[in-house]
Amino acid sequence: MGERTEQVITLSLPSSMQQAYLLKVVVAEILKETDFAEDTQEQSNRAAIEAGTNANKNDNRTGQNTYTTFKLTLTDDQLTIDTVTDSDAFKHKPSETERALELSLPSSMQHVYLLDVVVTEILRDTDFPEEVREQINLAAIEAGTNAIKHGNKEDPNKRAIILFCLDDDKLTIIIEDEGDGFTRKEVADPLDPENLLKSSGRGIFLMEACMDSVTYEADGTIIKMVKYKEIVS
Amino acid sequence: MQVNVRHKGSITILDIEGKVIGTDALALKEIIDQQIKIAETEAKNGEKLNLILNLERVQMMDSSGLGVIIAAYTTIRRSDGRVVLLKLGGNVRSLIVMAKLMTIFDCYDTEAEAIGHFL
Repeated sequence: MGERTEQVITLSLPSSMQQAYLLKVVVAEILKETDFAEDTQEQSNRAAIEAGTNANKNDNRTGQNTYTTFKLTLTDDQLTIDTVTDSDAFKHKPSETERALELSLPSSMQHVYLLDVVVTEILRDTDFPEEVREQINLAAIEAGTNAIKHGNKEDPNKRAIILFCLDDDKLTIIIEDEGDGFTRKEVADPLDPENLLKSSGRGIFLMEACMDSVTYEADGTIIKMVKYKEIVS
Repeated sequence: MQVNVRHKGSITILDIEGKVIGTDALALKEIIDQQIKIAETEAKNGEKLNLILNLERVQMMDSSGLGVIIAAYTTIRRSDGRVVLLKLGGNVRSLIVMAKLMTIFDCYDTEAEAIGHFL
């Protein structure tokens, strides 16, 4: 028996969000990264729709304050979906006013695309202008890349956890990795003339340029980014 | 991301489509490096790599995608070749503006103008 690679991606979200739809788009994106046969892809898509629909049904029975975690296990030849209804689903607890979604990823660069998909879905029915959505999307991808590549050094046993919280007036994104952290002021300024033509080192700069506030906690292993719907002057 | 490689005389044109982020940025780097290698083999005949990156259909680019373009620019210039950017969409343009690279890159809005850069 050859060694089987297994990657677990979890997606936690409250019932107030469109679970079935989000699960469907996340699964579709994960499948894009695989070379599964067509019928296996179809099977996985059907499983996602079924799991999402069941979760929504359960939530309708139990009321609004439930959370569901979808555990997606990806192996070389299949994707399985387990559903856990769990009030402790979130590592970073959102406040009651926030609509939230938490994504936990093994540290592989191929999963960065999931951030793009999730941000697009979360912002879909909001009144963030198109240009601002693109900025948030870029900041999320940069933060995810930072956590997976520089924080966790692409170690598949280390996880990147990303929490998205949508409030009436703002979107907050918290990204945590299991790396050694970094000191913000030691990161070189990419706009310094001597760094202008360097091919890397712009991630943190772009996150700060695209978001309204970026703060670093726990030695830089937790990054918290906020974008407001309107700047109050 | 998809990349189509075309040649017009001594000019190589890459039509890039989709999202140049994450692992796709690495894929773009490989394609560009391959063109650099081909140019190096032909350099004995006095050919330099003249590269147009057509970004019209790029929906999104992150810092790793931008890094690939910068690396291409510096590597190709070192061997006397040139790189120009064609049709920057809103996203890519604002990325390049934020990174203060607008004055570094030669950017054109039409293919004829971009080709004209090498004549």
